[in-house]
Amino acid sequence: MKNRHNKIAEAKRFSGADGCVECGRCVAACPMAEMYTNFSIEMSPRGIIKKTLIGNPVVEDKNIWYCTECNAGTDICPQGVSCRDLIRKLREAALDENLLENAKTCKCCGRAFVAVPVENFVYGRLKEEPPNVFGVLDICPPCRREIYLQRNA
Amino acid sequence: MSEQVTMQEPSAEQDFSLNLDDLRPRPVEKRTFSGYFMPPRHSFVLFDPDKCTGCGTCEMICSTRNTEKVAPASASVKVVTDEKLGKNFTILCQHCRKPLCLPACPTRAIEKGNDGIVRINKLFCTECGLCTMACPAAAPLKDPGNQEIHKCDLCEGDPLCVRHCPEKALTFTRGKAFRWIKGLRWTIQLVSFLLLVIVFIGTFCYFKTGSVSFACPTGTLQNIASSGTIVLVSASSALALLILTILAGRLFCGWICPFGFVLDLVDKITPKKLGWPSFLKSRMTKYGVLAGAIGGSYALGFQAFCTICPIGTLCRSYGVQSFFKSAELAIVPALASLEIAQRRSWCRYFCPVGALLGITATLRLIKIVIGAKRCKKFSCIQCAEVCPVGIIEADQLREGISPKIPMTECIMCMRCIDRCPYDAAKIRFRWQKAVPGEDRT
Repeated sequence: MKNRHNKIAEAKRFSGADGCVECGRCVAACPMAEMYTNFSIEMSPRGIIKKTLIGNPVVEDKNIWYCTECNAGTDICPQGVSCRDLIRKLREAALDENLLENAKTCKCCGRAFVAVPVENFVYGRLKEEPPNVFGVLDICPPCRREIYLQRNA
Repeated sequence: MSEQVTMQEPSAEQDFSLNLDDLRPRPVEKRTFSGYFMPPRHSFVLFDPDKCTGCGTCEMICSTRNTEKVAPASASVKVVTDEKLGKNFTILCQHCRKPLCLPACPTRAIEKGNDGIVRINKLFCTECGLCTMACPAAAPLKDPGNQEIHKCDLCEGDPLCVRHCPEKALTFTRGKAFRWIKGLRWTIQLVSFLLLVIVFIGTFCYFKTGSVSFACPTGTLQNIASSGTIVLVSASSALALLILTILAGRLFCGWICPFGFVLDLVDKITPKKLGWPSFLKSRMTKYGVLAGAIGGSYALGFQAFCTICPIGTLCRSYGVQSFFKSAELAIVPALASLEIAQRRSWCRYFCPVGALLGITATLRLIKIVIGAKRCKKFSCIQCAEVCPVGIIEADQLREGISPKIPMTECIMCMRCIDRCPYDAAKIRFRWQKAVPGEDRT
């Protein structure tokens, strides 16, 4: 528990979350609103920053796994808060505590490389593609390049 | 600007929420007549793994374009090296025909231009990395520094990596400009259709000018079976088509057969296929039909199949002189309607003439090979799409394996050779082992 407290403190410090003024610009820029029909304040970057700041249990929260870790919120923040870095650190903390149900692990190397809701979104968008495309999606990008090398060189 | 803008009171029924389809609609693919013979250019960089030494010059030169300093990590290409196998490979954007990154992008920042180049519009890109997730080769690369996504845009037509590669392992091509085989094939098909059906009547089955005569080999076999005697003249004239098949594969089916021409025309007006029931999906059926035709002729004492043969009835009944003469007219439309289920379904599953030519094609001198090393695998698969008899295994190509093409089934229409933008499909002699892309010394 002590360890988790330290990790959240580190995440706050690293991302500058203390400077958040709740302007909501990150929510306006966030591509998650386009990706998920159930987009809500709970999963928005502002909601996650707020939850972290007031000390709610955020590491077990499913909502930190919807983010695509893009730059949109970080670029637009007037206070220089990096929601991307905050969510990344929170995910790392969750992985350290073996909360793996929302992280997709690579078939080849076994490392967690993408969040399950994000992957479901990509699956949904590629519905019309031939089925063996999905075999590729189970492998992390560095391993994919490695397989590409093995097959083609 | 003189148009009057009327403001309407929003009513409760109207939904005013805008989504991305209203703001940035997806471009619609248009098919034009000129695009039929002159396809849109498909630019790409071709990579030769045999020449690559893994020096990383392409990475360095590419990064100067992205960040204005030499930093290989922020390049749009990636050199992957396997130390154990001693292999190098450059991961390049393939500028796919149907890019997977395009639908995966949540902000629709990825566009495919008219020149075939897939670009990321930096205005909309949020650097989320979903394009990397969707790409089978993971070609869009995330810069570890500023977390930006870098993807090849072919330097707008003059790739720096190609210019600076010291081993010339990278080559830039703009794809094919003109499909000449297509025009030639349609012309020959049309001319032979006119000659065989309109000008001379019954010419495919038996045709004689002076001392030169041609005959349908399947019809000749039935004739032999029914009469029990071999007429040397007709047997030798039937050999002409078999010799053509030995020399050039089943060229007759793809280029000359008048019924095949009708099927190709019907295919043009029925682009959507319903699919063929799987229990009938046996290509061996046509050999059964051939055996049945010969056996039936033997039993009945006349050429049993020839009375319902679509090629024969087309030649006999549809000419100018004998049009609307008999009930045979119904056979061609009836069998051509099979085209709704699959392309060339008659030729694939039933045609005994094709079956006999297929047996003869086991002695063929040439073959069609598709070198998966040279082609772009998952991003193209045009050959498998255009193949009218469906003998090219798309799944094998996606895995990067050169598919084995059964020449007994291939009708030598050369659509795959015509379509392939990478010159990976080639005609080779039977004894040549190498496939394109692997035959360099």
